[in-house]
Amino acid sequence: MTLEVISVNIWQILISLINLLLIFLILKKVLFKRVKKMLADRQAALDKQYADADEAKRNALENQVAWEEKIQSAHSEADRIMKEANVNAMQRSDAILAETKERADAMMRQAEAEAKLERKKATAAMQHEIVEVSTQLSEKMLGREIRTEDHRALIDSFIDEIGEDNDANG
Amino acid sequence: MQEKTSRFRAVDALLILMIVLPILFGIVLQIATKPPSEGIAISGARIFFTIPFFFQDIPITESQVNSWIVVVALLGLCLYLTHGIATKTKTRRQHFAEMIVEKVTNMVRGNMGEYFTGFGPFIAAILGLSAFSSLMTLVGLYPPTSDINVVAGWAILVFILITYYKLKGGILHYMKSYCEPVPLFAPMNLVSEIATPVSMAFRHYGNVLSGTVISTLVAAALQGISAMTLGWFWGQIPFLQIGIPAVLSLYFDLFSGCLQAFIFAMLTMLYVSGGFPAEQYEKRRLRRSQKKAS
Repeated sequence: MTLEVISVNIWQILISLINLLLIFLILKKVLFKRVKKMLADRQAALDKQYADADEAKRNALENQVAWEEKIQSAHSEADRIMKEANVNAMQRSDAILAETKERADAMMRQAEAEAKLERKKATAAMQHEIVEVSTQLSEKMLGREIRTEDHRALIDSFIDEIGEDNDANG
Repeated sequence: MQEKTSRFRAVDALLILMIVLPILFGIVLQIATKPPSEGIAISGARIFFTIPFFFQDIPITESQVNSWIVVVALLGLCLYLTHGIATKTKTRRQHFAEMIVEKVTNMVRGNMGEYFTGFGPFIAAILGLSAFSSLMTLVGLYPPTSDINVVAGWAILVFILITYYKLKGGILHYMKSYCEPVPLFAPMNLVSEIATPVSMAFRHYGNVLSGTVISTLVAAALQGISAMTLGWFWGQIPFLQIGIPAVLSLYFDLFSGCLQAFIFAMLTMLYVSGGFPAEQYEKRRLRRSQKKAS
């Protein structure tokens, strides 16, 4: 038994309508709702990961800035220490140089003084010698004794003259 | 990806059975109840039994049974696709489910606008039910879409939706739309309004039925031609039926079935969103909110 090719039956139409509604509900509740929920969850997880990454990046930047500041301060500290050391060293070397110069000057002065004394001694010795020699010479030439005191005064004045000439020349 | 537990696999197997068993049931029922055909007969759905009811008896026919087969199989398919759905799993079925949802949602949004985004499941329902009903011919079952009652039911539902959304602009605005451009046109507008679901139903039903009719006629003709040309012995076997009906089936069953489903869904979207008076609705909403505020 079959239906006619075209036969309209209200109840069949109604059943078909209900079938479509049923499929609609099935798709909505089972497929669309679950998939949309999953997609929303995935989006939320993604957003969270992005937020985490941003947070980590910001932290890293903050750390970088802090480290750069620290490095900067360390550099300036090192510079300061170097400068101080330089100044100290300069001061000390100056002091050492001054001391050395002083000592050298003192030695020079002493040496000079000693030399002068030697010269004086030598001069005195020579005067004495010359006086002796000239006295003896004169005694022999004249054959008589000359008063040593008179001659000495004479010769001294002579030698002084020579010495003055020498000093002026020398 | 975590290891699939045996329980998960068992549920999977049950769901696959839920998809396959109804179709097998339909085939078995067909074999058990269909009388051997005699000659060429183009008829409607076979009636299994009739329930007496007021106004008109309810015949439970092949189209009803096959519709329910599609409903149950689709339910099984949906459950199977969304079984074990999670944010981090990457299975093929989940990708497929996501693809369906996204494609349909985008299609609805593109054709109907942002306001009708909730129509996604309904359009998917039309597409799925119509396409799978037409594709029942692939397993040799009677396609419910070649029964005018089935498609008429869908068209009437669409008509109800069209009218519902037209009434959102106010009943006066709805009445006025019939008197355009002049009140004289009212009967014509009324006819065109009613023609919408009728044309939708006939288009879909006619396409699927005509496919069946042409396939039957061509098959019968090929049998006759082979009987005539191949002599009394070889003509007993319809050799010419090899090949040509397969190509016809490719067009009428596969292509036409899917195309008609798509056309029905497209028309639904266009009629519902086209009839919706967006500006009028916005005006009414504003007026109402102002009234509420004051």
